[in-house]
Order: sequence, then C-alpha cells, then structure tokens
Amino acid sequence: MNESPIEDIISVEGVSKSFGSFKALENITLKIPKGKIFGLLGPNGAGKTTLIRILTGITGPDKGSVMIGGNERKIGQIGYLPEERGLYRKMKVWDQALYLTQLKGLSETEAIANLKPWFERMDMVSWRKKPVESLSKGMQQRLQFVITVASNPEILILDEPFSGFDPINAEQLKQEILRLKSEGTTIALSTHNMSSVEELCSHVCLINKGEIILNDSLESIKSSFSKSIFEVSFIGSQVAFANSIGFQFEIVDMKEENGKTKALIKSHGKVDPNDLLSALIRNLTVKSFSEVLPSMNDIFIDLVNGEKEKVTA
Amino acid sequence: MRNTWLIIKREYLSRVTKSSFIIMSLLGPIIMAGVGIVSVYLSIEETENQRILVIDENYPLFNTIESSDLIEYDVKPITFDDALKSFESSDYTALLHIDKNYYKVHSGALYFKKQPSFRIQRKIERTIQLRGEEFKLSEFNISETDYRRIKEPFEMQAFQYDSATNTSEEADMLPAVVGIVFSILIYMFIFMYSVQVMRGVIEEKTNRIVEVLISTVKPFHLMLGKILGIAAVGFTQFFIWITLSFTLLGVGQYIMLSKYDSGQIIENATMTNQVQKDIQGELADKTANYSSEDNIIASIGKVNFPLMIGLFLFYFFGGYLLYSAMMAAVGSAVDNDTDTQQFILPITFPLIIGYIASFILFSNPNSPIGFWLSMIPFTSPIVMLVRVPFNNVEVWELVLSMSILVVSFLGMVWLSAKIYRTGILMYGKKPTIREMIRWIKY
Repeated sequence: MNESPIEDIISVEGVSKSFGSFKALENITLKIPKGKIFGLLGPNGAGKTTLIRILTGITGPDKGSVMIGGNERKIGQIGYLPEERGLYRKMKVWDQALYLTQLKGLSETEAIANLKPWFERMDMVSWRKKPVESLSKGMQQRLQFVITVASNPEILILDEPFSGFDPINAEQLKQEILRLKSEGTTIALSTHNMSSVEELCSHVCLINKGEIILNDSLESIKSSFSKSIFEVSFIGSQVAFANSIGFQFEIVDMKEENGKTKALIKSHGKVDPNDLLSALIRNLTVKSFSEVLPSMNDIFIDLVNGEKEKVTA
Repeated sequence: MRNTWLIIKREYLSRVTKSSFIIMSLLGPIIMAGVGIVSVYLSIEETENQRILVIDENYPLFNTIESSDLIEYDVKPITFDDALKSFESSDYTALLHIDKNYYKVHSGALYFKKQPSFRIQRKIERTIQLRGEEFKLSEFNISETDYRRIKEPFEMQAFQYDSATNTSEEADMLPAVVGIVFSILIYMFIFMYSVQVMRGVIEEKTNRIVEVLISTVKPFHLMLGKILGIAAVGFTQFFIWITLSFTLLGVGQYIMLSKYDSGQIIENATMTNQVQKDIQGELADKTANYSSEDNIIASIGKVNFPLMIGLFLFYFFGGYLLYSAMMAAVGSAVDNDTDTQQFILPITFPLIIGYIASFILFSNPNSPIGFWLSMIPFTSPIVMLVRVPFNNVEVWELVLSMSILVVSFLGMVWLSAKIYRTGILMYGKKPTIREMIRWIKY
C-alpha cells in the first residue's frame, strides 16, 4: 500500500460489545495511523458511537483490547467531541472552557495559555462572560469544539463534527481540522457527510451491524471499487475514437465543446489504461485522460445496500 | 484525585454563588430569630382588657367573681338567650355561659367577638375553678387552709445517677430540646442536599455533558466530586445559619432588654409558666419549668455543645453520603425529574420513619426501638441525636452506630457508583429497579 511504514497510534484488537442480547460490535479489529485523518462511516445504528465510546474509554469492551501508542489507554488521553453536544447551561463560557480544559490535566495557567489563541481565532473573545444558554446553537458548537481541542490532545475523536454548522462555519471547522492534522494530531471522525470524508480523510473504515465491511486507505478503496470508467477529451474525429477503443468499451456519453470532444467510456472487463491510451494517441490528439473513480457516497450506498440484499437473500 | 478536587470546587462554587443559596442562607436565620423575637414581643404587648359577661344558670352561685387587672367579670341574672341577643351590640368582649349542671359536669362555654389568647382563656378557666372550689368548701364545711394542705402538690425532680462517680445530675429537658432541633436539622439537610445531588446528576445527563466528562474522568470520581462538593455547600449553609442565628438572637435579646425592663419579661414568662403548669401534659409541664430566664441559661449551659455539634457534623455527613449516593444512582437512571418519584419514595421512607421516631423518643427516650433505630444506618443520623442528650447512650453504642454508618456509606457509594456508571449513558427508557440491580453486575 504505502511505501513508508505508517505508525499506528490506535490499535483495536478483536473488540466485541453486547447490550443484553443485542450485539453492538462483533470482533472489531482496526488500526488508526498516526497523524492521519481517519473516517469512521456507517449507517445509523451501525455501532459507530459504541466503538467511539470504547475508544475513548467511556465504556469497556466485553472482549478484546484497545491500545494507544502501544500502551494501555489512559483516561483523558483523547480529545472527544460527542455527537450529542452538551455544556453546563448556566456556567459562563470562559469558566466552562477553563474548567473542562483543566479536567484534561492542564494547570490553570496552561489552560489559559491554550484557550486564549483559540478564543481569538474563533472570534469568541466577546462571549467570555456570557452564560452558555445565551449562545446560539452554532456558537455552542464552536465553543464545544474549542474545548475539545484546547488541551492539545494527541488524538481527537470527533463524532459528527459538522452537524449543526452552517456552510461558512463548517468550512472554518474543516480548515481547523486540517491545520490540527498538519501539526501532527491524529483525528478520527465519524460523519454522514461523504464529501467531507473525501476532502479530509486518508483512511476510511465502514462498519455496518457491528462489523467492519471496509477498512483501507481512501485511495485503495476508490480504485478497488473502480468500475473501469474513463474520461477522455481529445481533438479528432469521433469515428476514429470509436475505432480506437474497440469492442471492449462502451461509450456512455460523448459531447463536443469548442472543437474538443469529451467522452465517457466504460469497459466490460479488466483493462490496462496504458493499452487504451496508446491505442488512442495513435489516431487522435488526447488532451486529457483520467479514470473516473466512484464517490464515497456511491461506495457507501452500494455496500450498505449490498449487505441488506445479502440478508434478504 | 486532582480531578475530583476540580469537580468539588466547581460544584461548590457554582452553588454558593447562586442567589438562591445566598438568600436561603440569610433568610433562614432571620426567619428563625424573627419568629422567636415576634413571639416574645407579642406576649409582652398583649394588654387588651377583657370584659366578660357571665351568665350563671345556677345564679346566684357565681355572683361574685373577683376581677383582675386584665379581666373584668360582670355577672347578670338574665337568660342565656337574652344575653346572646344583646351581646353583639354590647361592649363586652366575651360571654361566659356556666352550665346548669355545674355540680355534675363542671363545664361552661365562652363566646367571644375576637379570640382572646390561650393564656387569657386558661386564666378564666382557673378563676372559675377556684371560685367553684370555694363554694364546695363551704358546702362540705372544710376550711380553706385544710383544703390547701390536702391539695399540696407532690413535686418530683429527676436525676441521672452515675454509679462510677457516685453523683447525680439533674435530668434536663432543654438539652433534649436541643437534641431534637439538631435532629430536625439533620433530617432537613440530608433531604435538601441529597436531592440536590440527584438534580445535579440529572442535569449533567440531560445536558449530555456527562459524555464529555466521563471521557476525561472516571465516573466514580465524577460522582464523588459532586457528592463532596454539595456536602461542602451544606456545611457552609449550616455554619452561616448557626453563626447568624446566634448573632441575631443576641441582638434581639439586647433590643428587648433595653426596651422593656427585664422584670417585665420575667414576670410575663413566669405568668406563662404558671398558666402552662395547669395544662396537663408531661411535655408542656417539663419545658415550662425552664421558662424562667435563669433556668434557661443554666440549662443551655448543661448542653454539651461541642459534642452535639461534633455529632451533628458526623451524622449529617454520614447520613448525607448514604442517601446522596442512592440519589445519585437514581439521578443517573432517569432522564428527567418527573421519573424520579417512584424511586424517591422508597429511598426517603426510612428517613421519614427516623423523623417520626425522634419525636416518640423525645417523650420516651428509653424505648427499645430507639436502640435499633440508632443502629440502623438509614435512621441513625436522625435518631441518635435525640438519644444522646438523655445521657443514656453508652460509648460502645455510639461507636458501633458510627462504625455501621461508615461501613454502610462506603458500601452504598460503591454500589451506587456501579449503577451510576451504566445509568448515565442510558437514554430513552425509564429502568425498573430490577434492571438497576442488574447494572451493578456489569
């Protein structure tokens, strides 16, 4: 897969968890690479929140183990933004941020030093003396995010970080997540927003009904789900194009624009893109050539529906 | 440990800075002292003279009733019906009707426009009784001196005999009153503050902040921090109340003494005393003995305040830990205040039993149930404080009761922490008690 070996910071081994007769997680084994953004996907009720709670140490697994950096997990090691956000409603914004940051093990002076730049960058300085209940939902979300990251945790787990944000705030949040990653923080996030997965995550794990159905780097997932669709834009005759691709390909779409033709073709079997490209340049001037990879959205829907069919079959 | 301390600090500061806490702390003693001062004030101020029309069905049996400076009697030979008709427009304050069968039933009825005080009513009763006695004395030909000698009351004082020192100490009621006041305070404080623990847990759970908190601190530390922080609030309130009450009482006493000469207060007090003595009933009789000022001061001196306050603090803390641990478990199991009712009743039931028992023990301190209730940890915090002032609690009993309480609250905190740990993450449905017991095993 990757040339340089990536150190795994979280390693989950054979974790199972049941609530009564309901199996929430079944023999989950996965590794989260250090310094990357890891996407945890799955339909509602798949077991994501349970897995996250086990990662953060809120609940213990029935079986299996979670190691962090090769050691037993210590409480408070992970910055955690739960899906259901919550703060003390009557407490003042600054007092609350200070209290929760100190609980992570920082001294008061350290906590102040860490919080100040975040408050400035996120335009929150003017709210400091306000009680939380007077803030709008979006403001509370921002405060909660700041509280999660202010202790500079090595690992961040964000459960649905974008829910409740307007597009502008969501974009700002995305930039902050990328900035944290560039500073070396490992981030695991769960989301239903597939476009943000493609923008942010380098690794993806898809779970359904308590089991892992997909776990790999985004790149390899996409190419393994490739449907051999290519997009070619060229200058030349469309007949020549059709002749060059041969019978193996089917033209899905073709249109001419400003003297250039853009074609979408699909192969019926496995093909080597090099063979296709050399056949094309013999007869045409190829302007661009790319394989069209499926979106995470498509992969997600395909896989989850496929699972459903398996059950009904 | 550090986190528990941070939690204690937050719980404490967020509560003592609330305006409701400040108001309660100041208002409590003011109300208590106010009630005391007002009642003394009223007993002094009551000087409204009574003019009583007496209708004697056995006329002229009661034709001469000596009036006193407060009460004037006017006996008239008219029928009761006539008297009642003209009563409204007359300047009499009350109408006393003495029954026709006075010799058999010894009763009468008083009709008033504005209710005379209890004290005045007793005084009228006593005057008529004395007058009646006089008639009978002459009827039976007994001299009054003889009669008074026959009726000489027997007075008994009670002493606590200590064989070790061969000394006797006069048994006092006032220390017992102090005991029951402390036990009522414990009952109130345990109730008030353990419910606050429950509310706090529900608040964190419904706020969903609990998930952030327990990703950082162990649930046990979170629960312990909350319980201890709120206990500190309770202690703070107790000290404010005690200090303020004593200060206000001192100020009140000073104002009273400078406004009225102390003789008047004592005279009033002894008068009340005299009247109260006539009321049958052990309790009133005993407390009345201490109504005069000298006795009160002497009796208060006999209360072992350091011991009582020490015991109060210990039993409040122990009882509070026991109950608040249970309340924390209940709070963790439910989603809102209304769901707590079914759990609160069984939990507070023993507390209420202790409260009722303490009043029974007050008049019968040696009843065997007292021993058991002061051993059972659910009632001992309330009951023990009533028993101690009677000096019949052995040291071993006290040590045993305290040890049982300590062991019980440790066990209860441990059990509750297990329920709490599971409960705070459960949403949606109200669990049954059976389910909560199953959580202990998780």
